Amino acid sequence: MELADSAVKKALSAGATEAEAYVQRINNVSVTFQDKIENIRTVESTGIGLSVAVGKKTAVYSTSILDEKEIDEAAKKAVKIAKVASEDSRWKHFNKQFGKTSVEGCYDKKLENPDYKEITETLISAVSCMKAFDKRVRPTRSFLFTALENVSVGNSYRESIERKATEVAVYLTTKVEEAGMNSTGAEHQQARTWKEIKFDDLATKAAEKAVKYLKAKVIPSTKMPVIIRNQIFANLLGIFLSGPINADWVQKGRSPMTGKLGKQVASQNVELIDDGTMPGGFSTRPFDDEGHPTQRTPIIEKGVLKNYLYDTYTALQDNVESTGNATKSIGYWTRPQPTPSNLVLKPEKTSLEEIVQQTEKGLYVEQTIGEWLSNPVSGNLNATVTHGFLIENGRETQPVNGVIIAANFHELLMSGIQMIGNDPRSSMGLGAGATVYSPTIKLAELTIAGK
Amino acid sequence: MQRILNKATALGASYADTRYQRFDDEQITVENKELKSYSARRLSGIGIRTVVNGGVGYASTSDFSQDRLAATLRNAVKAARSVKGQKHAFAETKIKKATVKSPRKIDPDDVPPEEKVSLVLDANKTAWVDTNVKTCLTRLGLTKDSRLFMSTEGARVEVETTLVGLAHSTVAKVNGVMENVNDIGESRCAGFEFIKSQDWNSYTAGVSRLAVEAAGSGTPPPGTYTVVVGPLILGLVLHEAFGHASEGDIVASGESVLQNKLGEKLASDDVTIIDEGIVEGGYFYPFDDEGTEKEKTVIVENGVLKNFLQSRNTAHEIGVKTTGNARAQDFDNLPIVRQTNYYLQPRDATFEEMIEEVDFGIYVRGKGGGGGEVEPGLGTFTFGVGPSKVIRKGELAETVKGVVISGSILETLKTVDAAGKDLKIITSVFGGCGKDGQRATVGFGGPHVRVRKMIVGGR
Repeated sequence: MELADSAVKKALSAGATEAEAYVQRINNVSVTFQDKIENIRTVESTGIGLSVAVGKKTAVYSTSILDEKEIDEAAKKAVKIAKVASEDSRWKHFNKQFGKTSVEGCYDKKLENPDYKEITETLISAVSCMKAFDKRVRPTRSFLFTALENVSVGNSYRESIERKATEVAVYLTTKVEEAGMNSTGAEHQQARTWKEIKFDDLATKAAEKAVKYLKAKVIPSTKMPVIIRNQIFANLLGIFLSGPINADWVQKGRSPMTGKLGKQVASQNVELIDDGTMPGGFSTRPFDDEGHPTQRTPIIEKGVLKNYLYDTYTALQDNVESTGNATKSIGYWTRPQPTPSNLVLKPEKTSLEEIVQQTEKGLYVEQTIGEWLSNPVSGNLNATVTHGFLIENGRETQPVNGVIIAANFHELLMSGIQMIGNDPRSSMGLGAGATVYSPTIKLAELTIAGK
Repeated sequence: MQRILNKATALGASYADTRYQRFDDEQITVENKELKSYSARRLSGIGIRTVVNGGVGYASTSDFSQDRLAATLRNAVKAARSVKGQKHAFAETKIKKATVKSPRKIDPDDVPPEEKVSLVLDANKTAWVDTNVKTCLTRLGLTKDSRLFMSTEGARVEVETTLVGLAHSTVAKVNGVMENVNDIGESRCAGFEFIKSQDWNSYTAGVSRLAVEAAGSGTPPPGTYTVVVGPLILGLVLHEAFGHASEGDIVASGESVLQNKLGEKLASDDVTIIDEGIVEGGYFYPFDDEGTEKEKTVIVENGVLKNFLQSRNTAHEIGVKTTGNARAQDFDNLPIVRQTNYYLQPRDATFEEMIEEVDFGIYVRGKGGGGGEVEPGLGTFTFGVGPSKVIRKGELAETVKGVVISGSILETLKTVDAAGKDLKIITSVFGGCGKDGQRATVGFGGPHVRVRKMIVGGR
């Protein structure tokens, strides 16, 4: 019997009325490197999250040790905790809709047994591209990460189902120092297969960036249009929409999108879809973390809000079907929450170069920090620009850093999106949870706090 | 574990160490007077670090069977052999044999679950101070981290740290405006006796009152201000913007803004910065994950940069002694250079004196702030702070919310012109500091200080 199924059985015999088990086995290889390889780490990480219900009382117990004795103990502890919990009057039951959607491009056999020789040679080649671009560029600490993930989910209604996936991610950093001035350049890419990662290109871009921003400075406080690079706008979309379109937020009255289904929440040119089945998408999978099949769910069509994202618990509150978005984004030891899968903003036809050329005065924002300090409830956006360029008469003139950009994101979505680029890329960040794909965006006037 | 070490040597490792860990974590969350979740978690496993021909390889597993342990060792050796052209060596350290536990009277495991739940329920109920309060979330966290370190050099260090704490957040709505004060609460390296000794009901009510006050207040216009900074936010900024830049691996890589600056005057005379393993209120950290005793390290003394934080490897590269700052999140991870309790040493100013001399500025408070982020290569930092006060003609005036501070750390520390005589260091069972994908529980803090130039934005 599969481990997930035997764990469910143990929980039922310990006194649970329902149980659900999530078993995860991950093999990671991570490499730290600079101009040479620093170290190689290989990790076998295992864990089981056992959720139980005793009537309408629930609890989760988890452990990283996957042996029978430990799981016996886990089942008893979970039930013991659930018995002292207070009743959740909204509790109905665990997921009863199991199944797999067919997905493509999410598994690379090559990553089952990573070839250390090939990996180290590829990374050293990438690092040499940095120096080849400009000899002032120093490679700083960089990372490569590969993962082979195996998950099975089962509960007291259904036998467990299993999924396998691979991931690879690289994060490259560089630095240039000259005449007391400092500049950094970083590039990042994540994918499901080894061959998708363009190591040498990324390295050259990171070096290019460090050189380009060498003379960056703080500019005086002002207001002007802002062009936000694809990956950074993807981060912003994730920050401002993943909570508000989550049915749990809506049901608790925390979401600014509450009561807005069928209403205009963005300008007509905004098309946003949550696509759990996108070929090769970083958050693509055949079923979600409670075994429900994934799907494509339109979120915004022509600026109109179409759907919220559901897991089983929230779907049962609204008497609808789950959208297959149950995700344990923190880890196997938590209950899943509705979370976007691949949240995709539809690109248009204008290139970044054309957007810059068509800007009389503005700020191009290539990299920021602290954008996650923004408030998705009020919509107040703020981010500190570490890599930006002043644009005057269609040209980049002065590199900028250390200024804060601020606006209300929900208002920007409604009336501030002036241009949508043709260059979608995914948001930064490793690990589980939502991935957002966005092109570069030109926004109407934002406040810029500087000198 | 001794068998693994012997076998590592037989397989050609010039050095090997093993780290066994067992981590128990219990989290109870009460939302709006109802128990929202009760989860318990155990993490246990073993990690093996080997050095072969100067290359470092690491492997870990949660499977303690003889077969898997042997395979894990082979993986570590294979990984080490694949690292070509490196000469990894470790600076000398005093080889220790020790067993240490953080102070604890009541083991959290011995407290019945229903007692824990009812304590959190009570604390949540008292947070509903008036009708403006819309959502209240109270969390209790109880963790126990046991680690055993052994090396081929003969070290054997066992440390058990119990960390407990409670945190609360309130969303309030005043005249249609919502404000969330999410406080990190109070945590202590102690047993359940700490939880029993605190008045959590008045604590949660205080967070709610702050949320109501903030919801009814405005945001300051963006610009550069004189600010008086509270201990919590000062500690966070120092940790993130200066502390990481003083970590030996970031320095050795050339990434740090502090590279080649030892002996230079980087801050005003009022700035002395310390990293220390055991301090009142902080995280209990007597030994690092290489078995080195963590002592007091002076980073900055009267504005002059004195030392960096080191692991045995970075210490070797730079040619200094390790400072006992090699820390790993858990057995799955290699130790990297991390801070322990990083704080600014107090001076002699009083809070009133610092405020009196400000014509127009902001008293920046951390409670309910949102954390922050730093670009380490540039020293640019940005932090969301909690509800704060405007300072007008030497006096505290109206409350402002949604404040973000930003600056360049090397410039900002030069404009510190007063440090207070108070000292507060805190740690948290709920969060930690992230670096290279690893989290670590740290302590941070200092006194109140005054900073002449800080960029302030609204959020």
